[in-house]
Amino acid sequence: MIQGMFDSGALPALERLAQFTESRHRVLTNNIANLSNPYFKARDLDVKSFQAALTQAIEDRRGGGGRTNGPLHVRDTAQLFFRTDGITAHADEIHENVLFHDQNNIDLERNMQRLAENTMTHNAAIELIRNQFSLIQMAIRERP
Amino acid sequence: MTDPLGLIGAARGNMVPKAPAGPGAPGEGGGPSFNDVLLKNIEQVNKLQQDAEHAIEDLTTGKRDDVAGVLIAKQKADMAFQMLQQVRNKLVDAYEEIKQMRV
Amino acid sequence: MFNSLDISTSGLIAQRTRLEVTSANLANRYSITDAQGNYSPFRRRMAILSTGDPSTGSSEGVHVRTIEQDQSDFRKVYEPGHRFADKDGNVNYPNIDPAMEMINALDASRAYEANITATEATKAMIQSSLRLLA
Repeated sequence: MIQGMFDSGALPALERLAQFTESRHRVLTNNIANLSNPYFKARDLDVKSFQAALTQAIEDRRGGGGRTNGPLHVRDTAQLFFRTDGITAHADEIHENVLFHDQNNIDLERNMQRLAENTMTHNAAIELIRNQFSLIQMAIRERP
Repeated sequence: MTDPLGLIGAARGNMVPKAPAGPGAPGEGGGPSFNDVLLKNIEQVNKLQQDAEHAIEDLTTGKRDDVAGVLIAKQKADMAFQMLQQVRNKLVDAYEEIKQMRV
Repeated sequence: MFNSLDISTSGLIAQRTRLEVTSANLANRYSITDAQGNYSPFRRRMAILSTGDPSTGSSEGVHVRTIEQDQSDFRKVYEPGHRFADKDGNVNYPNIDPAMEMINALDASRAYEANITATEATKAMIQSSLRLLA
């Protein structure tokens, strides 16, 4: 009963999203910290593969019947290992940008954009989780 | 908007939004019974919540990126839930009140 | 919604490149030899922008397609004693007009700011949509 309460609705997916954005935030801030570090290669976590893994897990949970409760089992990707209490992430170097003369390939604008996107996604996830909790609380207290 | 759950209209016997879902004791005015109306609305609220949950899941997986649309769906579902909860609370209050009555 | 952030970022990168090209032009205003020391006046560079953003695979946004060289005539300066003077005593200097470069630099930095403003607006929009949840 208790675990079912926390496995209800989009809460598990939102938790995974918050864990992912936290991990990615660490990677992106690390890129900014190493902005003028020669030979540093920018790193990033692949959002697409995270989303694909989450989509698969949600499809599995829905089981064709559109079910919106039950635990969510996300399969590991090349970079992400989904533990029960969080995500272990191994960010890969990205090779998208022409190297500067100091062999550092960080594209500041691109990195800042990713950081902004990630922060906003994180905020949205946290806000939705807060909302889910307050809804459950409302049901427990029987009062709005 | 003054009658979001259709309960007032139902009491008058001319319930516009919905007809009784299944067999149930019809109200005295020939309209759907209160029980049916309540069940119907609970189902509706549940549906709204499920749709909102699906929308949020689609947001997390990147299938949707209209944050506002998803949040509006969520807020609507929550409001419907609160509305239903208040109706239920009033019902319980009414029951308590009737229970206190001396015959 | 996050798409418009991609577009603004492509604009930022393009304008930054334009500014880099302009800075290179200004810096090389007197460069008349190449890296090997051979006489070859620096030609003014121009960033050619084009729609679409290959880095995101989108048809929206902008990117620098190429950086071309300005084929207009070099600036001739009469310096008969110069090592690289021609038979008339003129030396070819890069075809760079500082006034033009300054205006381009100003334009690029204003355009950069415009893209920053658009980004801020997008961010504010997404953030304000979170306030829908009471």
